[in-house]
Amino acid sequence: MNLLKSLCKQKAFQVGAVMALVWLFALADWLWIHMLPDSVLHLVFGSITGLVCWFVYKQSKSRNEGAIIFWSLFSFGIPVWWHAGVYFCEWLGLEVFRAYFARGGLAVFFVTGLIWVVWAVEQHAQKIEALRRQAFNLENVLTRKKQKRSVDHKIWNPLDPDAWYYGQKSPRLNQSLNGFVSYTVLFCLICMILSQFQGCTQYYDLPAGGGENQAVQQVVKVQKIIRKKFILNPYSAINYNTPELDDVKLELNEVTAHRYTKMGFGEGDGAGFAGGTSDGTVGFVRLEYPGGDWNQDFGIGGDMNMLLKYAELTGQKVAKKTKAYSAAQLKTFDGVRCPPLLYITGQRNISLGNNDIKILQEYINDKHGMIFGDNGGSRHFHNQFISMMQRILPDVRPVRIPTDDPIHTRPYQIARVPYVAPHGGEEALGWFADGRWVAYYHPGDIGDAWADGHAGVSQDIWANCYRLGVNIMSYAHIEHAKWRLAQKQSGGDE
Amino acid sequence: MKSLSTLMLMTLSWLSLASPALAQTKIGEMSLDRWAKMREVERYQLNIAEKYFKEKKYDVAMSEYEKYLSLYEQSDAASFVQLKWSLCLNNLRKQNTAIKEGFQSVIDYWPDSPDAAKASYLIGKTFVDIGRVSYGKKAYQETIADFPDDAVAVYSLSGLAEIAKQEKDETSLVKIWKRLAFDIERTKLTGGTCATAANSLASYYFGKGAFPDALDSLKTNYKDEQLAYYVYAYVRSPLGTLVGNEDTATVGLRLADQAVSFLKQNLETDLSTDELKAKAQTQWNQMIEVEKYSRRDDKVLAAYRSMLATFGNLDAIMGSLADYHVSQKRFDQARSIYRQFKDKVLGLSKVAQSYRAEANLNEAIKVYKQLAGVDAENAATWQGEEAAAYVEVKQYPQAIQIYRSLVASDALNSQKWLWALATTQRDANLLKEAIGTYRQCENFPENYRQMAGCHRALKEYKEALVLYGQIIGGSESMAPWAQLQVGYTFEQMQSTEMAIKAFQLCCKKYPKASYASTAHAHLQNKYKISVTLGGATDE
Repeated sequence: MNLLKSLCKQKAFQVGAVMALVWLFALADWLWIHMLPDSVLHLVFGSITGLVCWFVYKQSKSRNEGAIIFWSLFSFGIPVWWHAGVYFCEWLGLEVFRAYFARGGLAVFFVTGLIWVVWAVEQHAQKIEALRRQAFNLENVLTRKKQKRSVDHKIWNPLDPDAWYYGQKSPRLNQSLNGFVSYTVLFCLICMILSQFQGCTQYYDLPAGGGENQAVQQVVKVQKIIRKKFILNPYSAINYNTPELDDVKLELNEVTAHRYTKMGFGEGDGAGFAGGTSDGTVGFVRLEYPGGDWNQDFGIGGDMNMLLKYAELTGQKVAKKTKAYSAAQLKTFDGVRCPPLLYITGQRNISLGNNDIKILQEYINDKHGMIFGDNGGSRHFHNQFISMMQRILPDVRPVRIPTDDPIHTRPYQIARVPYVAPHGGEEALGWFADGRWVAYYHPGDIGDAWADGHAGVSQDIWANCYRLGVNIMSYAHIEHAKWRLAQKQSGGDE
Repeated sequence: MKSLSTLMLMTLSWLSLASPALAQTKIGEMSLDRWAKMREVERYQLNIAEKYFKEKKYDVAMSEYEKYLSLYEQSDAASFVQLKWSLCLNNLRKQNTAIKEGFQSVIDYWPDSPDAAKASYLIGKTFVDIGRVSYGKKAYQETIADFPDDAVAVYSLSGLAEIAKQEKDETSLVKIWKRLAFDIERTKLTGGTCATAANSLASYYFGKGAFPDALDSLKTNYKDEQLAYYVYAYVRSPLGTLVGNEDTATVGLRLADQAVSFLKQNLETDLSTDELKAKAQTQWNQMIEVEKYSRRDDKVLAAYRSMLATFGNLDAIMGSLADYHVSQKRFDQARSIYRQFKDKVLGLSKVAQSYRAEANLNEAIKVYKQLAGVDAENAATWQGEEAAAYVEVKQYPQAIQIYRSLVASDALNSQKWLWALATTQRDANLLKEAIGTYRQCENFPENYRQMAGCHRALKEYKEALVLYGQIIGGSESMAPWAQLQVGYTFEQMQSTEMAIKAFQLCCKKYPKASYASTAHAHLQNKYKISVTLGGATDE
């Protein structure tokens, strides 16, 4: 207590405590509250990270004299650097680095805590043993010959290596193991609780406006001019011969009707969705799943291109960047205001647990979401995706989506499914339930065609890939907007 | 689910009222009567369209059908042509248009034509094909209600059964199967559908352990000997499942008893001719097979004893019994039976095989040596088996020695022994020798493929590249694989630029091959290089 009081009186400690409080508040705001503007968060995270760096640097000079203070300060710096790294990577759109920071930071944080636990246990054990050595009386030992350990009373203190449950054989080793296991279990438990705590509801609002789900008109008038061919027939009059196909001269007059159509759903100003909000935007959300490379073509230069193209082709407001959520994070979305479309790509395993599958089932069935699968590069992923869908929707069989289905015709007419490479065949598959497509599977790496360089495919193909992307995003958002409106009218969650 | 059951009942009652005079032609065909009624010009135009349809040139066929409709709208075949036009759309995967503008038009414009019934059924089927199961169900029910006398009503019922199966609506499914199996008169067009339903129903009943019901279902399809065979064919799998589960084992065993007793009743007792004897043996084997699925060892052995008592100690029966002992890991018992074979060579070869199954190489070798002496005519074969036994336990030098001697002595099968020798040398890591032996083999490109693999393992990449080049030039089917391997080989040579070029070439030359997809993904992942494979389905 005295140590604590004396610490509290120290100015450096007071400054540190204030900084920690500010940092914690900023962290909570960034993750859950969303009250502070971005500029304030930049300032807080930036300045506190800078200050911590400066403190650590300053302390490192007198490291030999105050090793514990230096390492304590360094350890406190780890979560600050970790969160700042994640925050600034996210802000800069470096989604891959964000993921590395998030996972790497957690691992470093775990190891740091473990080191401190081991150190603290060791210190305490040594202290207890030193006290015991001081109280050692040779006379007593000689008279009793041999004193049995813990005979008089059982020691329960886990910090004491003589605790009865550590046994007679290598108690220090057992104590270390106990420390390690206890710490790991506690750490996992806290992580699990915090991941549940992420249940603070997130919202996905559609952009306000209105529009129609109409096909962009493109009319090609074909005019056939058949060249007359006169041949001499020895048995009859001059005859008009049936022209060969090569003799038919086609004149193609492309007449494209550039009629301005607001793309979206319902009545409202500008392109958007009835029931949307002024802050609402169309986003591009992908599933961060364990087991594979979920982050193929993620962020700037990847799926961000698709989002920008969507804005260009539909005139709707779009999010500043694309996002990735784990299944647990997806669960935190509101029952109605949740992302209408969830993109899943990769080329390796999709390792989803039963809980994740339940979340995805809930996402499709209760939250009216739609899954957009994209084979990022292997037949294996094709099988993985199909079996994942079999787990999510066991009663729905995948079918080949017709080329004249609204998802292939509105707003853009997609005559044939364009692909980069036919990793999972050449046909788009769909899962149809409750009067809508609940999942669309593209077999040929459409995400690669959206990315910078367009995977080397011709302009026709990548332009069609963008159009197909627009169709699918538009379909999912319109279906969701309709459902939101119905929910609202029936006095649903909203 | 309840509503579905009600609807099913309604549709079933419709069918029960229907007269058995079922339809006349297959879905995509028109009756000869109607062909006969057509004018020559109409027939000519329709034949052209049908030709393209058969050639799967659906877009061309569509325009020919359209031409027919615009020229001969009043023709008797117009409804059929409209139906075929819709089928073209279906095949071009424009199913929504096919339903709305095709099949529905047949019903609207020619409601009394035989094609209206087909169109009605096809609407349901197409809906199901594009995932609109609820619409499909409704359309099937309408078809059954509107055309109860037509074969399409039966097809629709079968379609409803598929949906019920998908929706795991067991009650409706069984009702439909029962109706199809027992109540509908079978014609040339509907017989297959009804028979399939009866078989499915039998499997279902066997799975529930209800032998008499299953038998009744099968009786609608088969009689006498055929019935016994199909009992044997359909009972085994459900029996295995039932017996394998602790909770249902009792039901399974009861089912086994009933099935065996039925098969026993149908055993051929007249053994006067060889043909009848062979038939009876087959029936006995089927009965024993069912016993095996019930996993009752004592009953299986008892059945074999009875069979041996009936037919005498025939090698085939004793072999089957011994094989059963092997499957139960009773090798000694099995061998004692094999040794009693009248055909000593066959018996000994089986003994050797059983030693190999037990991984007892020494005894197996002894038997093979004995076989080579007893059956001198086929000595090479037994020596080959001996070598294969050595290979199994990775005693390669002995195997190689035998194969070498076989190559020299058995000129007729030298290719077979060369291949075995080369493979053994490769497995023994004698790669240089393996390459030499593979070179003597004549099964291009497989030998070149193996040689290239050996060269790569020896880090002789240039030689491997030459061989891959020869595969590319000489084997069309293996060329994409070989081109991909060229890329990997260059990678092993640390020649990144050449590797990239090889992978790119694989994508460029063989864009439809699965190896191109692998090359594409490899280029993307390893080198972050994009290469075009892109296309669309109509390319």
